[in-house]
Amino acid sequence: MKRTLSGLGRGFLFKLNGWTLSALILGLLIFIPMAAVLWHLTDPSENWKHLEETVLTSYLKDSLILVLGTVFFSVLAGVSCAWLVSCCEFPGRKVLEWVLVLPLAVPTFIAAYAYFDLLAMIEEEMIPLVIWARTKSLEDLDTVIFLLDSLKYPVTILVMASVLYPYVYLLARASFSRQGSQLIEAARTLGYRPRSIFFRVALPLARPAIVAGASLVVMETLNDYGAVKHFGVSTFTNGIFRTWFNMNDLPGALRLAALLMLFILFLLVVERILRSGAKFEEKGTVVRSFKRYRLGPAGSTLAILCCLLPLTFGFLIPLGRLSLWAKESYQKILDFSFLELITNSLALAAASSLLIVLVATFLAFAGRYFKNPAVHASNRLAILGYSVPGAVVAMAILLIASPFNLSLGILLTGSLFTLLFAYLIRFLAVAWQPIDSGMEKNCDRLNEASQSLKASPLVSLLKINLPLIRPSLWAAGLLVFVDTMKELPLTLILRPFNFETLSTRTYDLTSNSQIPESSVPAICIILVVVIPVIWLNRKMEARK
Amino acid sequence: MSDLLAVRELSKTFGSNQLPAVDEVSFDCQKGEILAIVGGSGSGKTTLLRLIAGLEIPDSGEIVLEGMKINGQGTFLPPEKRDCALVFQDYALFPNMTVEQNVFFGKAAKKRRQEVEKLLELTQIDDLRNRYPHQISGGEQQRVALVRALATQPSLVLLDEPLSHLDPELRNSVRDDLLNLFKETGTTALFVSHDTEDAMAMADRVIVMRNGQAIQVGTPMEVYTKPADRYVALLFGKTNLIPLDQIPDAPHHFQDDRSEAEVVSIRPHEWKVITKNSADSGTAISGRVTHVHYKGNHLEVVFESGGMQIIFNAPPKAAIKVGEELAIAPKFD
Repeated sequence: MKRTLSGLGRGFLFKLNGWTLSALILGLLIFIPMAAVLWHLTDPSENWKHLEETVLTSYLKDSLILVLGTVFFSVLAGVSCAWLVSCCEFPGRKVLEWVLVLPLAVPTFIAAYAYFDLLAMIEEEMIPLVIWARTKSLEDLDTVIFLLDSLKYPVTILVMASVLYPYVYLLARASFSRQGSQLIEAARTLGYRPRSIFFRVALPLARPAIVAGASLVVMETLNDYGAVKHFGVSTFTNGIFRTWFNMNDLPGALRLAALLMLFILFLLVVERILRSGAKFEEKGTVVRSFKRYRLGPAGSTLAILCCLLPLTFGFLIPLGRLSLWAKESYQKILDFSFLELITNSLALAAASSLLIVLVATFLAFAGRYFKNPAVHASNRLAILGYSVPGAVVAMAILLIASPFNLSLGILLTGSLFTLLFAYLIRFLAVAWQPIDSGMEKNCDRLNEASQSLKASPLVSLLKINLPLIRPSLWAAGLLVFVDTMKELPLTLILRPFNFETLSTRTYDLTSNSQIPESSVPAICIILVVVIPVIWLNRKMEARK
Repeated sequence: MSDLLAVRELSKTFGSNQLPAVDEVSFDCQKGEILAIVGGSGSGKTTLLRLIAGLEIPDSGEIVLEGMKINGQGTFLPPEKRDCALVFQDYALFPNMTVEQNVFFGKAAKKRRQEVEKLLELTQIDDLRNRYPHQISGGEQQRVALVRALATQPSLVLLDEPLSHLDPELRNSVRDDLLNLFKETGTTALFVSHDTEDAMAMADRVIVMRNGQAIQVGTPMEVYTKPADRYVALLFGKTNLIPLDQIPDAPHHFQDDRSEAEVVSIRPHEWKVITKNSADSGTAISGRVTHVHYKGNHLEVVFESGGMQIIFNAPPKAAIKVGEELAIAPKFD
């Protein structure tokens, strides 16, 4: 241990220069707010005892139910659709292959508003049951009321899963098509029918991709504020907002945020452990294209229905309902301020994409080019922000920035600068991932070559890395753009006074029970986001 | 006849390609025989193998395995039902399974534990059973792939370029191991190779393919010494194509598709230098030495005679100099 530490120290000193030093500082700067939240885990809070006794278990219970349910249905829909479109052949497969990603353009809170009356409708249907139970006994009434109260779980789960399954779908589809034909053919020549090969070969090989997709679903579920608030599910994020704004208990909210972070870090560690051991990628990918399993008329009908189901719930119904409402209410909503709303959203998303791609490129390059273990470690810490819900990031920022507010005499919180910094913390990983893997694939060896040719790091970055990873840069930028457009909780807390975006306007309108009116900004978000989503899907297709 | 495999006028064209990948190929394979399919890249040899394995569906022709028609008009037996196993070029080991799990993956393998254990021992991979494919060397992976195929006790083993991923040193020993294993287990094997040396060393018979057609079928000796055409002659190593009228007593000749003249293929080692007073100067060709390359166990001499270039081998210590006037003659033994 001692030896490795001193070894690390020597390597660290040896490689410290302007690049690595600034990468280290930048990485830690991005991590500090999150560390600060964890730091407050044990702070005394007057209400904590009360929180612990009353709501903490229900936060935990609701979060777990929601996460498990959403993950289950997302994996079910995502994996089966991915398998169907990548390994089977049936009419309409090519169209379904890309339209299945469209629900990605619908933020969870907007999906919830589109289904805002679903819960109420079901409850209405249940009224006779309540009346019947009242004539019986008090116990029966309790059971029925408990049942009615529990209805919010399946409804929220289905709404969330129907827009979150594309995360699993995209990664599983990529894995299925990357597996290539050879392993499947090998299994066939060893005596297995195509159907049993799915469970024996294809599914086990795709497991890491499915787990990765599922963990994205977990993060998004825990991040959501709009949907859980609407349906009254008390997840941690909902609890943080409640404790903070309704009960005015900042220390209590902080402590909840810290607990949530611990919960997610635990999940990340579990995922790491699950992934260790066997390798799942076949080396030397096979060029031979996959021969799809041709389905008969009955099988094709089933396959089409199976793919249409999540698409209908996740995209067609929400968009359809929103369009109907928009047709009625657009005259009330569309004015000059609405134009400002769109420019605000677009400018904010574009600026954050640019900033985050720049920072991610710099950090990834500094880590790879100088092979500095310290920069590697600080990069890992910096990208942790993606696994932390937006509400927690917002709290972290406020925590760090509030002392400056007083001492500098300017309002750091509630400025666009802080909002951008918060996006940087939350979405750095989104850009870092494609850029880092792009550099790993294309540039590592070439960087060594340019180093040996005595080219400066800057020349290597500008002349070699940037041109070679241009597709990754575009993908990274668009991914951040999509995420920023869809973001709600962070923007809600940190936006400057009187500054509105499409998503905050949607939220504000629904808070005032103006759900039909909220459809206009909601549709705008979906339409703006759908374009980069389709483009990104095309890119993924082309790559395989 | 105990024909294990019979292939009759098998053809396959991919998509919108003009030329067929496999063009009316016919051959037989007997029980216990080792057959090599050789040819350059794009000659259709791998497609032929995949057709037999059932991984591709032929356009026409038929395949009969052990008296049962597995391909033919209206017949197609899916790969999982065919009594043959395929060893893939890059092995196609399941990366998420250990060596043992890979080997016992085959349906038939599970019922033959003892025999498979013996195969593991025979191929010396029984110590690796708990490792994953990425933790073992290329040669070991190759053996695992082979045992996985043999474990299902197929009546025919198909191998796609079995030696192409091995370095030259490993190659020779694996070649011998394979041969021994096939002979010991009485396996009938059909393998594809672009390396004619492998094919000659291992196969009982060789099928030479070009542009999807089987242009020659024969023993390695026949194909080497009596090539059917220019392509076959050059595929199996350096040779000299001499017009038949210069060597009228040659035992074998063919029509050169370039010059359209009848020619004789005489390999570099099939020449002897004749002294001036030699008796059999009738077929001698005289000319001048232009280059001499030292190759260790022999000299490679480039020789020019009337605008024709001949390459022949001489003993390493022969005193042959550039510019020397010589006469050489083919030796047919």
